[in-house]
Amino acid sequence: MMAHVFVCDGIALTTVARQQHILITGWAAEVVRFPVFCVIHALYCCSISLNTHRNLLEISHKICVRIHLHLESRSERLCSTEDCIPGTGTYLRHGYIFASLTGYVLRKNEGEELPVISVVRETETQLLPDVGAIVTCKVTSINPRFAKVHILYVGSTPLKDRFRGTIRKEDVRATEKDKVETYKSFRPGDIVLAKVISLGDVQSNYLLTTAENELGVVVAHSEAGAQMVPISWCEMQCPRTHAKEFRKVARVQPEYLQA
Amino acid sequence: MPVDTKRIRGPEESQSPLLFLSPDKAPKASSRQGVRGNGEVRPMFARCGLISQAKGSAYLEAGNTKIICSVYGPREIERKDETDMKTGRLVCDFRLAPFSCLKRGAWIQGSEERDLSQTLLESLQPGVCLHRYPRSQIEVNVMVLENDGSILAHAVTCASMALADGGIEMYDVVLGCTLRQNGKTCLVDPSYSEECGSWQEGYGENQGCVTVALLPNLNQVSGLTADGELREDALADAVRSCMDGCHKLYPVLQQALTRAVKKKAPPPEK
Repeated sequence: MMAHVFVCDGIALTTVARQQHILITGWAAEVVRFPVFCVIHALYCCSISLNTHRNLLEISHKICVRIHLHLESRSERLCSTEDCIPGTGTYLRHGYIFASLTGYVLRKNEGEELPVISVVRETETQLLPDVGAIVTCKVTSINPRFAKVHILYVGSTPLKDRFRGTIRKEDVRATEKDKVETYKSFRPGDIVLAKVISLGDVQSNYLLTTAENELGVVVAHSEAGAQMVPISWCEMQCPRTHAKEFRKVARVQPEYLQA
Repeated sequence: MPVDTKRIRGPEESQSPLLFLSPDKAPKASSRQGVRGNGEVRPMFARCGLISQAKGSAYLEAGNTKIICSVYGPREIERKDETDMKTGRLVCDFRLAPFSCLKRGAWIQGSEERDLSQTLLESLQPGVCLHRYPRSQIEVNVMVLENDGSILAHAVTCASMALADGGIEMYDVVLGCTLRQNGKTCLVDPSYSEECGSWQEGYGENQGCVTVALLPNLNQVSGLTADGELREDALADAVRSCMDGCHKLYPVLQQALTRAVKKKAPPPEK
């Protein structure tokens, strides 16, 4: 399976193994937005065709063109570091970029810098909670010193396996840290938005914090069993019994508020 | 040594049915002359993505050897004292199903299986980018459904296919190949009868088995197991033949992985 590239007068004709002919013109005046699907087998063919594309792009004025290479690879040499910057799913070795995942190769060309090459898989990549990431967790147990949680979502991607986290007493609020009572901030079963401050020790779990206005309890159930409505940053009220309970409530982002 | 106490052994006079097999049905070392040459590997069938609950899975058939592998992870490490902050851990579990060999095996992992698990772990570890998964563990479970020779080599190949299918970042796939040296002849990818049949002929020079695990694109050997008595030059030749065998398997693997990726999702449209 070889890809042949013929270049003449700035027009590149690429024939692919499956007899698909794709014409690319990149003259100055025309804005070309063209998905190109090529199955490329040998490395040198890859570099020739990519270079050709790049030459065409240099001729045209700063077009943002995304070229998709339908190249499913696993540790295949993609290109050298002079041509592209490695993105996700790739690694660098001996001055060449290799793929570390099985998926589709995506090459994004934006502006003057070198294009970024990355390998993507459609299924969500398994994210690990990283320092500074906002996570959604569920409180499992509380203690006068800390609250133990199960991390369910990292950002907006759900995790397949639950990771454990800890919210220490001094990380619940930003102000009056010593006067915090865990019992008045969280209860078991609450859904909490928190931020990862550290991956923790060998012995401990992920360390989380809710010491920001936008972090804290999002969903909580009252002792009567109904879902509570937040009243202020430290209180929630049950709609059935109208009893108020103490929680460290997260402030709703303005874009989610319905006027 | 844990013993299976739940099985009913049968009365004391009972004997294994294998003793009563008629001679033509008994498995004997079949010659490969008609079917394949000494240096050829058996045609392989590989598929990914069979087990839906696992993160990644692969099924491999080479001749009559059938191996299935599933990958789970990255998960939180269960035993806290083994947590490594900088890198992840790879946990391998190699099992032979009780019905896989001629003689019925036990469900409890025997010492040979534990040995093979350790070798499998050592072969796969250089291939996986563990530094991208700090504080987590990736579990690889390999089950041999039918043992017809060179299970370790095919298990390595199957496990790396499953890891690739599961989206675990790897430097390269790890391929395995076995060679059986029988005096002057070397047989690549031996079947079960070829692997252990010749022990009955007596211990001569150059009687042994070599298994090599290779990273093809980087051309690095990640695992080497040799058993028996082999001369130095014979061993070097054996390793080289195994590496050639591994390279021959690579296109099949690529095809299987490509197919799995295409089945999961169509190419991104933009």
